[in-house]
Amino acid sequence: MKPFNFFAILLFAAGLVWVFTLSEKSVRQIQRAYYSAISPIISKGGETEAFANEFLEEVEHSEDLEKRLEQARNERDRFKLIAARVRELEAENNELRNALDFKKKPQFDVIAARVVRKQPKMWGKTIEIDRGTDDGFDADPEFDLCVLASNGGLVGRLQLSGENISSVLLITDEISMVSARIEGTSEVGIVVGRQTTYGQTPRLRLRYLSKTAILRKGMKVYTDGRGKLFPANIPIGTIEDFEVGPVYGEAEITPAVDFTNLKNVFVITDATGA
Amino acid sequence: MFLYSISLIGLLLLSCIVQQFLPPLSGWYDARLLILPLLVLCGSVTVSTGIMLILAFLGGFLWDAQQVLLISQGDEMVYHSSPDSLKFGYSIILYTLMGFLMQGVRPLFREGKWYLSAALTGVAIFLYLFVEYLIRGFIIGEFSLDNGMMEQIGATSIITMILSPLIFWMLFRVADLCGHTIRYQH
Repeated sequence: MKPFNFFAILLFAAGLVWVFTLSEKSVRQIQRAYYSAISPIISKGGETEAFANEFLEEVEHSEDLEKRLEQARNERDRFKLIAARVRELEAENNELRNALDFKKKPQFDVIAARVVRKQPKMWGKTIEIDRGTDDGFDADPEFDLCVLASNGGLVGRLQLSGENISSVLLITDEISMVSARIEGTSEVGIVVGRQTTYGQTPRLRLRYLSKTAILRKGMKVYTDGRGKLFPANIPIGTIEDFEVGPVYGEAEITPAVDFTNLKNVFVITDATGA
Repeated sequence: MFLYSISLIGLLLLSCIVQQFLPPLSGWYDARLLILPLLVLCGSVTVSTGIMLILAFLGGFLWDAQQVLLISQGDEMVYHSSPDSLKFGYSIILYTLMGFLMQGVRPLFREGKWYLSAALTGVAIFLYLFVEYLIRGFIIGEFSLDNGMMEQIGATSIITMILSPLIFWMLFRVADLCGHTIRYQH
């Protein structure tokens, strides 16, 4: 064996020992440093990807778009009439609110963000959004920030933040866990993502339910606020099916969020109002 | 040799940047062009075992820095059975195995039969992704070996393999510039 190869093997073995004995904190630091360094490039890459997707969509659906445009024009005229009526009702509503001295408190402080990249990792289910440490996100938070879709459904939580970009781990990923409750029952459990591949719709599973749970299809599942990761009462999905296992019951959940068409999300920066 | 090895490491870092501009092909099984693993594979066949090991280590390290998912797990009383994620550094092992696979055809490559190595990159990428998928399934305790997964892995391997001649051409050019001899005969 050549001396150089021998030296390289020793170096390789030492490196391997170092990597495999890294603490979780050190790994997170490495990943954060890497993400921060590469975040400007990811932003550019995201813009390129968005541009390419928009272009392809436009090419594929140009005829369809013309039809839709015509429909949209008709709809617009109709909505103008409706809007005029709604404004009248809104004004009346405001007067009544003032009369009652009613103030609607916002549940959360949120920051809106645009999804710039979907599924940037080969297997892990993540998205990237155009907000980061420049928008006040903590690069090393005690707990990851929670992300919602525009319909209020739970999307996931922030995993890493760069200057103007952040990676969000979706609740459909297999390592994601969300403490949840089922509406109208005392049942609580943990929602986990399921392994899916190309062409499959994202699925969730609610584990650790009692075997005697009486659940119906369509029952709503919400976060229950336990475990400090997510604020309470955020919609996760609806019950699709319930199975009784040897120890626990498990339910199949249809997510409240359409993950394939996710374009804008909201990051909860302060959930004190929850 | 030294200059060429340094250039390879530089190309490896560059491939991390290029990888960010390569989205999945949504119209074709969400296939991806995996430029970083491809560079490790193509580079492995042009260098000695020692350099290949260093290349595999750096490639695996960088790959895991961007691919491995780590999250905070909250209150242990509630999240008592948190699923394990893949250990940071596992890609180094897989890259090394792929590197040894590529080194197996190095004598043929040095005789100028680069196309065998190009075909082997497709096989190596397929094996790498398949093993990675199996390990993930093993760790989370759930397997779903279906057509969708095989199509996605297959399409990714093919699309990555198609680019390998270009990478080899680039490596030959870099080797010429660095005065490094890859082939026995020019």
